[in-house]
Amino acid sequence: MAEPLATIATPRVQPTAADLPVLHLDIDAFFASVEQARDPRLRGRPVLVGNGVIASCSYEARRFGLKAGTPLSEARRICPDAVILDGHAPTYRAFGERIFALAAQLTPHLDTYLDEAYGDLAGTERLHGDPLARCAALRAAIAEATGGVTVTIGLGPNRMLAKLVGKTAKPDGLAWITAAEADGFLAGRPASDIAGVGPAIAQRLAGMNVHTVTDLRRLDVATLAGLFGAVGPMLYERARGRDTRAVCTREVPQTISRETAFHRASADPAEIEGMLHYLAERACRATRALGLTARTIGLRLRYADGVSEEGRHTPAVPSALDPDVHAVVRALLSKLWTRRVQLSHVGVVLSNFAALDGAPLDLFDGAGQDRAHRLVEGLDAVRDRYGHAVVVSGRSLSLLGTLPQDRYGFVLRTPSLTK
Amino acid sequence: MRVERLDEPVRVRADFAGGRATPVVFQRGTQSQRITRVNSRWEDRVGRQPLYYFACSVESGDVYELCLNAHELTWRLTSVMLDG
Repeated sequence: MAEPLATIATPRVQPTAADLPVLHLDIDAFFASVEQARDPRLRGRPVLVGNGVIASCSYEARRFGLKAGTPLSEARRICPDAVILDGHAPTYRAFGERIFALAAQLTPHLDTYLDEAYGDLAGTERLHGDPLARCAALRAAIAEATGGVTVTIGLGPNRMLAKLVGKTAKPDGLAWITAAEADGFLAGRPASDIAGVGPAIAQRLAGMNVHTVTDLRRLDVATLAGLFGAVGPMLYERARGRDTRAVCTREVPQTISRETAFHRASADPAEIEGMLHYLAERACRATRALGLTARTIGLRLRYADGVSEEGRHTPAVPSALDPDVHAVVRALLSKLWTRRVQLSHVGVVLSNFAALDGAPLDLFDGAGQDRAHRLVEGLDAVRDRYGHAVVVSGRSLSLLGTLPQDRYGFVLRTPSLTK
Repeated sequence: MRVERLDEPVRVRADFAGGRATPVVFQRGTQSQRITRVNSRWEDRVGRQPLYYFACSVESGDVYELCLNAHELTWRLTSVMLDG
């Protein structure tokens, strides 16, 4: 059942379904929880998943002050007893899909991210009844289906409040807040809790001695608009608990990226280009599978000394064909990789999507494009049937023998999940 | 704790009661391993081939990951997590 919210005076009035139209579900310590579910010996122990840096850590590890992004060398020093695992992205993706499939039974609209999701419960009250009871049942069903992975659910009148109230109940909790309670709930909270207040805005606000939501409410809408432009009026509304962002299933993602760190930093052009071609190939296939083509193609890279670079290009003709995307990625690589330092991380990012059917064609290379289309269609058909690893393209041959392979493809060091 | 990634065919005796597979014993080399508990199970897909994974504890306490390819009806041992 719902857990009491410490910041709100009790007794609370039991909410109706209409009071709580938005659900926020967060998978607690996602990757580490999956590892603990797979191996009961890890339960109650600090577990770190990552390679180079922590990607996910269990709540036992968080008690030592560890968090995502901490270098593993530092984590070992702080917590020598921690169990450190490389992790396995396809397994986490499968667990995530299972959890979100169960959540989708509660709502017709589920907006999913890597380890969290928003659901629109409006209009489902006659079907599901009491939302608190339904969410408690969902949490139990998820734990049962996954062997013990826990989730925290927040229910509220909008996305921001549902997520914030969920944070008060983590891990393995359920909390709710109504619109009438929002004022008191938000008042003393840090201004950085407001959706849309990132590090840059938080720093500017702190420079003006605005630290809490109460401080933020003292600024009128014109002042906020003057300070932050279009974001200003949004901050004014959200500081009062109002958030109008709709919850809808995203049919078109904002970006499709495929990234990884190298097992060992590299300056070998063949290895780097081979990896980039492999990543471009996977990103393109994911894009085509959604019936999309990318207008903008980006490259991310990180040098071994930690300096990062990012560039993007929007060609005249959108494309989701491997050779087109790889040509842009190669051009971006030669533009961005200017220092005589090895690369530790590379990634291909596709964005600004258009529908594949209606995309403009290249008028001057129709025959070449047609051949390329037929080639990738053929490859997609084979891979859809037997898996991506069944064909290795010539440009990625340099990875053979240097990277282990499994049935999903090359085993990358820190593969990104689809964002 | 360390994980060894494997990808080897394995003989498995499984229970299909209730329409879902549950591995009971598997044979690795000449050694039989009795499964004491299926800790977790999940489904995935490579191409069109549905894969059913099982994280299983055996009598020694080690955890083995078994994969049933439901298209080919074959079992593979995909990883083992060992103490130490």
